Amino acid sequence: MPMASLSRWTMSYFAAALALLLAAEALAVAGIGYPAAGLGEPATLVLVHLVAVGWLSLAMAGALLQFVPVLVSRPLAFPSLALPALTALIAGLLLLTAGFATLGGWIDAPLDILPLGGASLLSGFALLGLMLVATLLTARPIALFTRFVLVGLACLAATALSGAAFSALLSGRGGWLGTIALLPEGLPFHALLGLGGWLGLIAFGVSYRLFVMFMMAPEPPARDVRPVLLLASLGLGLAFAGLAAPFAGIEPGASWVATALALLVLAGLLYGRGILALYSARRRKALEINMLASIPAFAALGLGLALLPVAVIARAGDGSIAALVFLLAFGWLGGLTLAQLVKIVSFVTWLETYASRLGRGPAPRVGDLVAMPRTGWWFLLYYAGVAFGTAALAIGATGGFRLSMAVCLAGTIGIAAELIRIRRLSQIKAADRPPAHERPRLFAARAEERRPDHVHTGTIAHPRA
Amino acid sequence: MSANLERLVEIALRDVLDPEIGRSVVDLGLVYAIHAAPDGSVAITMTTTTRGCPLAGFLKEAVGFAAGAVEGVTAVTVTLTYEPAWEPAMIAAE
Repeated sequence: MPMASLSRWTMSYFAAALALLLAAEALAVAGIGYPAAGLGEPATLVLVHLVAVGWLSLAMAGALLQFVPVLVSRPLAFPSLALPALTALIAGLLLLTAGFATLGGWIDAPLDILPLGGASLLSGFALLGLMLVATLLTARPIALFTRFVLVGLACLAATALSGAAFSALLSGRGGWLGTIALLPEGLPFHALLGLGGWLGLIAFGVSYRLFVMFMMAPEPPARDVRPVLLLASLGLGLAFAGLAAPFAGIEPGASWVATALALLVLAGLLYGRGILALYSARRRKALEINMLASIPAFAALGLGLALLPVAVIARAGDGSIAALVFLLAFGWLGGLTLAQLVKIVSFVTWLETYASRLGRGPAPRVGDLVAMPRTGWWFLLYYAGVAFGTAALAIGATGGFRLSMAVCLAGTIGIAAELIRIRRLSQIKAADRPPAHERPRLFAARAEERRPDHVHTGTIAHPRA
Repeated sequence: MSANLERLVEIALRDVLDPEIGRSVVDLGLVYAIHAAPDGSVAITMTTTTRGCPLAGFLKEAVGFAAGAVEGVTAVTVTLTYEPAWEPAMIAAE
């Protein structure tokens, strides 16, 4: 019986992701980026990439490193690449944001750091993709869940490659592209593939599997899940074609973007219906904080998906589109990620600390590690900030948006503090905590110490006499 | 005698609690079969809620430990199976 072990560096991915989210929120509170600056201005690009690459992508990567092996019952391939990948991703993001800062005239550095950042990000994501694809493909047959992750990873490759090309163009090193106009026409496709494919589609696939476990719900029927994958893949395929179209001399217009978006919206709505069915059919009636705090995230997804096509068709201004993208990024993806971080961190911490005590006497439950209802209040604060922030963006209230982001920041600081307290076993009575040297480390799991050799043995004998 | 031992083992397994739900592996329907031989050796067939569950090894060992502590048990064999796959309908009513 193969047993998935703990991913040693997942906690480091989460810590870096949270630090970068806090940084992005602090910058927004300070009034840097949209709506004080234009959507395509360097200040906004700094903020967008801190959130999309720093926060959401690193958190997704950390979660996948832990859960892909669990979900396919295979050990992680090339686990030693996890730390180099994280280093390359952080270095790449810092170089990229420094490059944007140079473009904005805030610092004086050679613009070559932009493509250098793009290349570093590309190599970090390539290492991550290698680990995940090699792990996924060792399991046969290829499950539906695996297909979601594989399509998402293909989108990540397209997003990272196009991002690297954009960074070369912005630095003035895009001569090799000749007259091919990738910017700004390629930007919506780059965003669709990144947010909709890499982050969104994988969140779809992973949540189908994890929510079944977390809520003890029946597996959703494949006939309901396949159309989600099919529609999303069509939309994302169209987005990829839109990105590649300039190479064939075709100029993708607004209708191209709208069609890809419409297919993704349809997939999202079907997915939302499936998740609602999982919540209704669950056997675990009392919802834990991760599933409770995911409800506003799904509400944000529903609202965002319903209104985005309306805003596009009605040619609403930048404000409405930005508000809905903010709602999807912070409300849906951000809220869902924060909520599930609480679960993943508490579960991994419990595994490290108490799994070996199982059946040998009383041990705390996984949920005992989380401070409730306090953690719930932090989520309430975070989501209140998201709701007000969305409204502020829609009506163009710059000051209101900064204030909303301060509320978001306060909620995020609270949730981050709770995650640290979970790692430190702060909720557990002193008598039930292991000695200090055996407690979980804040940033790295004791993976090598938790691979019990009894897993492959068939017989356990404990004769009393 | 064997049936009695099987009953005692089942009672002992009610103390092995799932750390997520706080209910025993027996109540959750994770224990598919308990067979006791006249010589006191016990064979347990069990599952986990999902394949590749990170807890699988620990649950298996905990079940073996709890069964081995029952008076009269001389040896325990715990086998993990995913046929049939566990489903929520297997949870005993509260």
